[in-house]
Amino acid sequence: MTETSAINLPARDRPRLKKGTIELAIGVLIVGAWILAAAGAGIVAPADPNALDLAAVLAPPGPAHLMGTDNLGRDILSRVIHGARIDIWMGFIGVLAPLCIGVLVGLVSGYYGGMTDTILMRLVDITVAFPFFILVIAIVGLLGPGLANYFVALGLVAWVAYARLVRAEVLVVKRLEFVQAAKALGFPDRAILFRHVLPNVLGSITIYAWTDAVMVILAGASLGFLGLGAQPPTAEWGVMISDGQPYIVQAWWICFFPGLAMVTLSLGFILISDGLSRRLRVSQ
Amino acid sequence: MSVISIRNLSVTFPGDAGPVQAVKDVSFDLEEGEILGIVGESGSGKSVTCRAMLGLLPRRATLGGRILHHGQDLTQPAAMQAARGRDIAMIFQNPASHLDPLMTIGDQVAEPLIFHFGMSRAEARAEALKLLDAVQIRDAAGRMSAYPHQLSGGMKQRVLIATALACRPKLLLADEPTTALDVTVQAEILALLKTLNRERNLTMALVSHDLGVIAEICHRVIVMRQGEIVESGRLRDLVHAPKHDYTRLLITSQPGRLPQMTDQRPDSAPLIELRDLSLHFPGKGDKVVRAVDGVSLSVRQGECLAIVGESGSGKSTVARAVIGLNAPTGGDILYEGRSVVGLKGEALTAFRRKVQMVFQSPFDSLNPRMSIQRTIAEPLWRHGLATKAEAMDRALELMDMVELPRSLAGRRPGMLSGGQCQRVGIARALALSPRVLIADEVTSALDVTIQAQILKLLTRLRKEQDLTVIYISHDLTVVRKFCDRVAVFRTGQLVESGTTAEVYADPKAAYTRDLIAAAPDLDQALAGVT
Repeated sequence: MTETSAINLPARDRPRLKKGTIELAIGVLIVGAWILAAAGAGIVAPADPNALDLAAVLAPPGPAHLMGTDNLGRDILSRVIHGARIDIWMGFIGVLAPLCIGVLVGLVSGYYGGMTDTILMRLVDITVAFPFFILVIAIVGLLGPGLANYFVALGLVAWVAYARLVRAEVLVVKRLEFVQAAKALGFPDRAILFRHVLPNVLGSITIYAWTDAVMVILAGASLGFLGLGAQPPTAEWGVMISDGQPYIVQAWWICFFPGLAMVTLSLGFILISDGLSRRLRVSQ
Repeated sequence: MSVISIRNLSVTFPGDAGPVQAVKDVSFDLEEGEILGIVGESGSGKSVTCRAMLGLLPRRATLGGRILHHGQDLTQPAAMQAARGRDIAMIFQNPASHLDPLMTIGDQVAEPLIFHFGMSRAEARAEALKLLDAVQIRDAAGRMSAYPHQLSGGMKQRVLIATALACRPKLLLADEPTTALDVTVQAEILALLKTLNRERNLTMALVSHDLGVIAEICHRVIVMRQGEIVESGRLRDLVHAPKHDYTRLLITSQPGRLPQMTDQRPDSAPLIELRDLSLHFPGKGDKVVRAVDGVSLSVRQGECLAIVGESGSGKSTVARAVIGLNAPTGGDILYEGRSVVGLKGEALTAFRRKVQMVFQSPFDSLNPRMSIQRTIAEPLWRHGLATKAEAMDRALELMDMVELPRSLAGRRPGMLSGGQCQRVGIARALALSPRVLIADEVTSALDVTIQAQILKLLTRLRKEQDLTVIYISHDLTVVRKFCDRVAVFRTGQLVESGTTAEVYADPKAAYTRDLIAAAPDLDQALAGVT
């Protein structure tokens, strides 16, 4: 008998409050809206994001241009909507690449332990020792500006967080009897790792990945702002903020609306992460 | 005079499918100086009843009825606050988690005295020393400044009892106080509780799933099931003439009352031999932990060999070495005369098909994210003995074999009971048609009635499949009924081995005698003075 069974209620009768449902719903709604807008940008956006209208330069928000126009007379609303494509894509790839590398390293490191673990974890320590953002900028600077190189830099740097997280979880899961049982049944390591260990550590990775996506998008936008990320005239939120910076005093809307877009998308991601973690915590 | 009177107590928890009544309309009295046993299986509401008497239920629980103590109704928070710790104290199943790891033993015992009686620290510590003496802690003065991690499990439970006794409570509630302890330690703690009851006229309620434990010290017993009291009275009367069907089932499921399931065969050839087997692990500093130390033992074809011992005896380590989960540091393991130490690749896989294991924890030993049909089928197709589709069909047959209804096939372990999970574990182990089945404490996490069913199932499978069984257990009563031969382990060494009948009739080693004497047994306890 374990301590938790001290209050003797059958498992299925234990009250399972669906905590986190509200957060999850709002998060999915916000992110879903952004994905829809990005996917249908051609239809949703009122104008061509790159069409110049020199007659309406720096127009404030109004009926003609809901979010105003920038210094070249481009419609901000259309640019924000088209920018969502780049930024959501950035969040997706920027999370997926490090996640795959990190999960693989964490699984191997945690499961096998010993020398393999020592070498991989020292590699992680070394990477962590450099400030994250500086390392990313250095790598992008070395490879040349652009989104593709940003992804490469992320792949090289951001996997460490996943590796550590997964390793810690694997260390717990591998001691559970069902992993021992799988070994005793003579299953190959590959099967044990991917069929028995991985599904049981995915929960916390998923939660972390949504928060990480926020970081990836913000860092990508910052790179855009520095001129190292997406290149003008591409409509990308960071680039747009960068473009609007000289006009911040007379035309606040150029920076404000892409910034607002970034905040709402991030909020959506964080709400999903929060809702998921509450749910998983309850159901475990 | 009754110390506490429970009247129409009910406890309800909110659940997904409406409220769940954990305790339904329970009434009983505790007379001064008596020890009342509350016995029941998991989900019977025995712990919830016990905790309600001390106001320790989770906030979401709704309480009905009355708990009367000297004219005060303890369901009222103010009355509870006054009585808790002072008139009524409680000890728990897991002493380790109820002691503050950063506080010395002396201070922990002194704390309630300072809090409830306003003693100075020096006075309280002097009193604490007396209490530690009273709970028979050797060298109490020296232990005062020790931290919990420096004590054994039995010692921790004694400290917890001392803390509970500090304010001279009239009533001591004990929730499975010996379940986490070894049998010899359990016997000591039970003897201590008996002494305290006699010397201090302390009233007690002892919650336990084990009738044997209840029989050792309780004057009267309440049998609970699904939140209700099904029967109560003197244990002797209950055992001789149970009125309720459930009481009858509980009594016939007691290990001591199970039918003899051994299968004495003429000496067959040894199937597995351990030769001077050792497993040493590096410990703290230069120390070496000798988990298994120079063990020679043989397991004969078709027999059921018990490996018994207390925690730290190395019994599970031996099993894990046989199955190749732990590598021996010395000696050899032979299977059909050939060494299986250090087998790799194909040879190891082939060996693992022959020797299979069932684990202790019914829930932890199954992948929580896999349906049970897939769980049972997996070994078959992974070993290339069937296609995935064939394996899934065969899994259903295996479910029939372990008496699991096919309707459960798509469920995940979290939706099954402990006994059902353990059946899945057995079916999975048998999927590869092994010749040897190692059962590592397979029933210790289960209720006694479920334990009886699992033992019956294992006995049937043993005959049908011509299995050799290595049964690892701390429960000597079960072993006596179920196993042909027994090997007794202590601190990594083999103390004694022989046929079960011989060892129990005439134990050679002093330790074996202690173990057998300490094992709680309903009938022996009833035969003695109760």
